[in-house]
Amino acid sequence: MLEIKNLSVKVNGKDILREINLDVKKGEVHALLGPNASGKSTLAYAMMGLPGYKVTGGEINFNGRDIKRLPIEERVKLGMTLAFQHPPAIRGVKLSKLLEKTSRQTVDVKEFSVNPDLLGREINVGFSGGEKKLSEIIQIISLSPSFVIFDELDAGLDIKNLEKLTSVIKNKLLDNGVSVLLITHRGNILRFLEPDVTHVMLAGEIVCSSKDWRKIWKTIVGSGYEKCKECKLPSG
Amino acid sequence: MRNARNASYLQVNHEIRRIFAEKGVILRPSHEAYREFKWTRAHFGQKPKEGYFIWVREQVDSPIFTCIAISSPKVSQTLRNLVVIEESIKAEICSTCNATKTGLCGNHMGHLKVILKENSELKLRHHHTWGKGDTVASSLTFSLGKGARLSHVYRCQTAPKTLKTDLKTTLEACSSASFEIAVLARGGNVNMRDSTFLNGDGSSATMRLRTIADKNSRIDARSKMIANGAGKGHLDCMGMLLSKNSTIDVVPELLNKNKDATLTHEASIGKISEEALNYLRSRGLTEDEAIDLIVKGFLGEEMPFKYKGRVLPSKVYM
Repeated sequence: MLEIKNLSVKVNGKDILREINLDVKKGEVHALLGPNASGKSTLAYAMMGLPGYKVTGGEINFNGRDIKRLPIEERVKLGMTLAFQHPPAIRGVKLSKLLEKTSRQTVDVKEFSVNPDLLGREINVGFSGGEKKLSEIIQIISLSPSFVIFDELDAGLDIKNLEKLTSVIKNKLLDNGVSVLLITHRGNILRFLEPDVTHVMLAGEIVCSSKDWRKIWKTIVGSGYEKCKECKLPSG
Repeated sequence: MRNARNASYLQVNHEIRRIFAEKGVILRPSHEAYREFKWTRAHFGQKPKEGYFIWVREQVDSPIFTCIAISSPKVSQTLRNLVVIEESIKAEICSTCNATKTGLCGNHMGHLKVILKENSELKLRHHHTWGKGDTVASSLTFSLGKGARLSHVYRCQTAPKTLKTDLKTTLEACSSASFEIAVLARGGNVNMRDSTFLNGDGSSATMRLRTIADKNSRIDARSKMIANGAGKGHLDCMGMLLSKNSTIDVVPELLNKNKDATLTHEASIGKISEEALNYLRSRGLTEDEAIDLIVKGFLGEEMPFKYKGRVLPSKVYM
């Protein structure tokens, strides 16, 4: 599905990511943990091809095709998409209008126990934290993706809302074989989605990968991210 | 003409193709009204050659549609239009002025005066669509009596080579006016002036001005709110530049002559947010599609013209 080989990325001329390797298979959930400013979101933006995130080496292979030179929308056409941590407000454009333009499948918002008024509001203008995340998920699902990056989905969400959203992700994405890269630095979302593989990123490098997210999380909670540098967990 | 059959007044070039009014509305060509109703002469200013006179004397349920089009090369229209809404009457007017195709190099000069009598209400939606070679000059005067209410939406999605507008509004006590003016210029010169006089105590007005300049365009807008009475006024002027060789010059101006009046303004001119653009592209839109969506959103949602449940195009097609 997605294979990243020795990916290095610069932002504003500064090296942010160094030789990142990641292999996400169809239907797998991978979690990427790391402290603030470790490069997690940079990896997400580089994978999506956002301008300013310059790939200086390596490959991003998506279903066998190196996509690192494709524009954002071409990557979306191939099935990749991103739920933003801080989606911008777009004044004058209603959520329903955007869905009308971009949807590949109809989404029945009633299934998400969302106030239907949300669709009639301008995108992310005055949305609460929960509404922003819900709006992101509705948009993502409407695109019928095969690979989704969730950048800090859990930021600013209370536990009840997080449980609700992760349940939607399970039902609408994971149960349909969609692969997910979950960027986070909190434990609750791991408990809800139980990733197949969990990685730790420190200073632009993946320093640890394991199938046992509980052990990684226990280490982080007990000793902090710095302990991951000395990680002895078997990778893979 | 796809929407002409619902028009109350349809003029193509200099010819009136249709004129029809429901009971309670008097609709005449301006020159006839000038002759028939002597009191209108003061409002027309000078003897009109073309244009319409709409006098809403009783409540009507359906909107009144006016369509004025240029369909032949180098036509020059000089219109004098007068609208009068009687006391306590609510009315809606949907008005379109357009060139039916590009390259006609027409000239459209329109003078519109609207009189809202005490406690009357008017929703006026005005759409302009022009070709690159056309020149357009509009002067609009709104006179609001006590307790009258006006909502005016003016939208020019394709500005002509030159567009000049001059809008003047006077408000008596407890009357209110809301303006939403949106102009998109691609390769044209736009010059807009508006002055709103809050003359009566308790009067209020908001002016929402949205301008977009693209492809070597120049937009120059002066928006002024004057408080003579104890009223409230707000100017909201926002501009968006889509190309390097375009300019937008917007000056909001407030003049307060009454210590109990409140006037406020906000103004900004900027480019399309890169962040918003990338966000929309991450939903699968191309850069051009994303810009188009942002531009349309910035100008404000276009509410369709509806007549008896049917949606009509906001342009005369021929």
